[in-house]
Amino acid sequence: MTKRVSSAGRWLPREMAVLLVALATLPLWIEPVGLYQYLGVEIAIWMIYGLGFNLLLGYSGLPSFGHGAFFGIGAYAFGLFQLWAFESLWLGILCAVFAAFVAGAVVACFLSHRRGIYFALMTIAFGQVFWFIAIKWHAVTGGEDGLLNIPRPALDVGLASAGLESNTALYCFVLAVLAAVLVLLWRLVHSPFGKVLQAIRQNEARARFVGYNVWMFKWTVFSLSAAIAGLAGSLFSMAQQSAYPDVISLHASGIIVMMTLIGGGFVSFWGPVIGVTVYFLARDVLGTLTETWLLWFGLMFVVAVLFKPEGIAGAWQEHVGAASGRSRARRALAGLLSTGRD
Amino acid sequence: MERNRTETRLSRRSVLKAASALSAGAAMAFMGPWKFNRVHAAASDRPITIGLTSDASGQYANSGASDRRGMLMAIAEFNDRGGVLGRKVETVHIDTETTPATGSRVAERLITRHECAFLVGAVSSGVANAISQVAQKYGTVYLNTNSSSPTESGKNCHRVKFVWDGNGTNFAQAAVNNAISTYGTKWLLLTNDYVWGHNTSAATRMLVEEFGGEIIDEILVPQGTRDFSSMLLKVQQAAPQVVAAAVGGDDQKAMRQQVAQLGLGDSMAWINNQQDWPDVYGLPLDNLFGVFGTTWYWKLDLPGVAEFVQRYQAAYPDTRMRVPGNVFYNGYMATRELLAAVERAGSTNNRMVIRELEGLKVSAADRMQHDDAYMNPATHQMQQTIYLATANHGTEESDDMFRILSQSAPDQVRDAAADAACSMESLDDTPTYEM
Amino acid sequence: MTHVLPHLLNGLSLGLLFALIALGFMLIVGVMELINLAHGSLFALGAYFAMVIVAPDVAWLGAAGEAWLALPLSVRYVLAILVAPLLVAVVGMGLELCMRRTYGRKAEYGLLLTFGAALVIEETIRLVWGPSERYLQVPQAISGAFLFAGLVYSKYKLFAALFAMAAIALVWLLLERTPYGAIIKAGAHDSEMVRALGINLTRLRLLVFGLGAGLAGFAGIVLTPIWGLRPHVGIDAVIPAFLIIVLGGVGSFWGAVIGGILVGLAVGVTGAYAAEWSLLSMYLLLIAVVTVRARGLLGKKSALEA
Repeated sequence: MTKRVSSAGRWLPREMAVLLVALATLPLWIEPVGLYQYLGVEIAIWMIYGLGFNLLLGYSGLPSFGHGAFFGIGAYAFGLFQLWAFESLWLGILCAVFAAFVAGAVVACFLSHRRGIYFALMTIAFGQVFWFIAIKWHAVTGGEDGLLNIPRPALDVGLASAGLESNTALYCFVLAVLAAVLVLLWRLVHSPFGKVLQAIRQNEARARFVGYNVWMFKWTVFSLSAAIAGLAGSLFSMAQQSAYPDVISLHASGIIVMMTLIGGGFVSFWGPVIGVTVYFLARDVLGTLTETWLLWFGLMFVVAVLFKPEGIAGAWQEHVGAASGRSRARRALAGLLSTGRD
Repeated sequence: MERNRTETRLSRRSVLKAASALSAGAAMAFMGPWKFNRVHAAASDRPITIGLTSDASGQYANSGASDRRGMLMAIAEFNDRGGVLGRKVETVHIDTETTPATGSRVAERLITRHECAFLVGAVSSGVANAISQVAQKYGTVYLNTNSSSPTESGKNCHRVKFVWDGNGTNFAQAAVNNAISTYGTKWLLLTNDYVWGHNTSAATRMLVEEFGGEIIDEILVPQGTRDFSSMLLKVQQAAPQVVAAAVGGDDQKAMRQQVAQLGLGDSMAWINNQQDWPDVYGLPLDNLFGVFGTTWYWKLDLPGVAEFVQRYQAAYPDTRMRVPGNVFYNGYMATRELLAAVERAGSTNNRMVIRELEGLKVSAADRMQHDDAYMNPATHQMQQTIYLATANHGTEESDDMFRILSQSAPDQVRDAAADAACSMESLDDTPTYEM
Repeated sequence: MTHVLPHLLNGLSLGLLFALIALGFMLIVGVMELINLAHGSLFALGAYFAMVIVAPDVAWLGAAGEAWLALPLSVRYVLAILVAPLLVAVVGMGLELCMRRTYGRKAEYGLLLTFGAALVIEETIRLVWGPSERYLQVPQAISGAFLFAGLVYSKYKLFAALFAMAAIALVWLLLERTPYGAIIKAGAHDSEMVRALGINLTRLRLLVFGLGAGLAGFAGIVLTPIWGLRPHVGIDAVIPAFLIIVLGGVGSFWGAVIGGILVGLAVGVTGAYAAEWSLLSMYLLLIAVVTVRARGLLGKKSALEA
């Protein structure tokens, strides 16, 4: 399906540097291009969420339609830690990641022997259970009003401390986390572990016959993906200074699948990054132009699934593939989008 | 509320500074002065931008549209007279999707990108909370037009937020005493199992016990319930004299249909909370069972009302809803009073506008209600006349759905608990701006 | 006991309605190995079509509309309940035609396409009929209340349960007593074999999807007088539907029926004795069953798992 590109095996790809430079300079150009800093914060957070999610969907072929639950658990755990224990950035994030990991690990016990549509059905059911708990247990979660007034604790790194109250400061912090996640995931998918995941996606039975404990691999990748969702959730509760149940709903869980696929998560490591960017920009631009933006977006999505199911990254690979060799710059860009698979 | 203080220190100005500092690579970013941190050339030719934060999709899309029509009519009236302080008033609307997380983002966008001077609009309390938190961070004055949760002017009150609708407690105050003497003392509570439902039923319970009634049972209805048959059987088995229902949103729409099917609305007395006009307009009359509250009705026998209805019809000749309702009314009144306050203050400076609104008094004639109304400076909730109504059977005119039963003056229905529950940020801790 | 009995009966009738909601979903997931996330939107579409047939906008139709409205409500209603599901079936078939492009690809694409279709249908409903609450008129004969053993029951609820039973019986007859049913069932288990036997699989899928969509529309018409009608009503149908399918076992007809009835009983009885748990009860039931029986109550080893 995809081409082997030279940079794939490198310790870190140059595409990542390009992306990070573009994101690092974002505070300088986002307002002049007519957007706003807070949008950058949300996009960076959802990139983390999408990258972790694509570990499941794109790399392991496990379609989770209830992933919002772990994002939400991270958000609530972070908020509750700040409100009930004490204000601490690192401990709050740790608590959120751990809570999401544990929830993911428990759910994964029910899911790891399942495949395909059956797997998807069960993730929907579990997602609904968590959504229901968030609404129902209002003494803890604040019910449908959510947890409000969650502080943004200061970034404390031993000697120095910096406030994160401004959106720019928070953005810089989120970007640092995103960079760490990118490096971690890139190494992970190119490790032997990542190869086994792709083997499971291509043929689970064969992977089992070769001698891999498929159940264990699926359990691990699901829990890991949940933990990353929890990390993104904790950052989201900082951005919003609240945690709401809506992020757990079936609709919200469907949206992350949609973003990942539209970007091309099946064929590229960078799929979720592209998909998140396109979704947020489309929503922001269409949203001011028309009240029926969801209709247009839905139509765009349907057309994309019908005619370009490999997503934007897939379309780009094809385009460049057809014109291969014509220009070095193009090849470099092709590399940018296709280095996820080999 | 202590936590909020820390957030108020930084604002758009500092954000911009941080950005420029980044480019300069200098450490001059986080310097004051903080007190007056956003000033834009208030030249008289620059329009005043108002951000409309009403839902256009989701559960409250319909009420959101009505709310927005109210705001736009008020703004159009000011623009026809030459604007406010000689400046034209412009609007930006972004769909808040009946989703709090979207509300936060929309508020951030309207304040930082569109540089809105004020934000107006809410039906869902979740969205209102999300917006008001962001608004408080920047000091932007925000009008919560139509969310009637008691927490809006209680636990979740903010210095920059002003609440224009009557809340659950106000309606309970208006209804309970009357209903005990008319229908009896054996009450059953049917409560939506979420924050709004619990707050409203707690207020009802306190009043029922205060006036010598007895709560024989409380049935908690989960949010999202579509089939009420088992609960309605249970209500019949308990045989109360009065059922006080605090069921909202789509749940309420399903419930009233099923109560109507059974004819239970006639066999026992039902006290409902507020019925929003967009939620009932055009439906068969038996959907309106029992007694319910409202802040305004288009056939109130007061001067100015008929003319107001005509203005609505002239402004919106194509809407399905041929007469304005309470949601439109709140959107209109809130926006009109905001713009009037700006004119009185002679400035769009947020602290001056907040002070004007805190001291706001509106005569009964201007409100088109039976009593003078005023803003409670301690909770930022409009204190106004509350009406009780019931279905208006036996009229030819299909839009004349309500029969007004009684009205209560603001001080009779005061939400005393809100004063204790609300602790607001001080004005000094609220960032200032002038747009 | 006298107190429990009404709740058990009520739970049973509720369960039949749940089974009706799940029926179309079951057919599509069983034969086509596809979770139809547009099920809820098709459900809503059926109710809106019926509303238009029962009470069309006279301003649009002029004299013909007047004449139509002069007919008794029961005539218009019967026609609506017959025609509206057919219209939804046509929409469903259109969706299936789009779906063809996803066959042979990953199953997730089908799921995503229906997710997108759900968005588009719901937004179109909002655009055409507005965001506000609408209602579907029901003939006098089947509405109102009746008194039984000192308690008031809804007459419509009884008829709705009868409609549900009729639909369940018809689907059963189709599956068990017609050659087409045999092909459908065979198609669910081994599509290669069905094709090898010279059966037109393409047409089979088209018809099954149409039937599933039509059943969703029919369920929408039956449920609307109880739930009310608004553009986003579909979400209330699609979630119980897949819950019941997982509970009963994917691709099992009786699994869907029994699953639906169990959910109805759970919701009905908790609704009376611990109302705040009534909605959660169906999830707890699901988790309890699935923990013990991984494939649901009557689920067999399915082609979907491979």
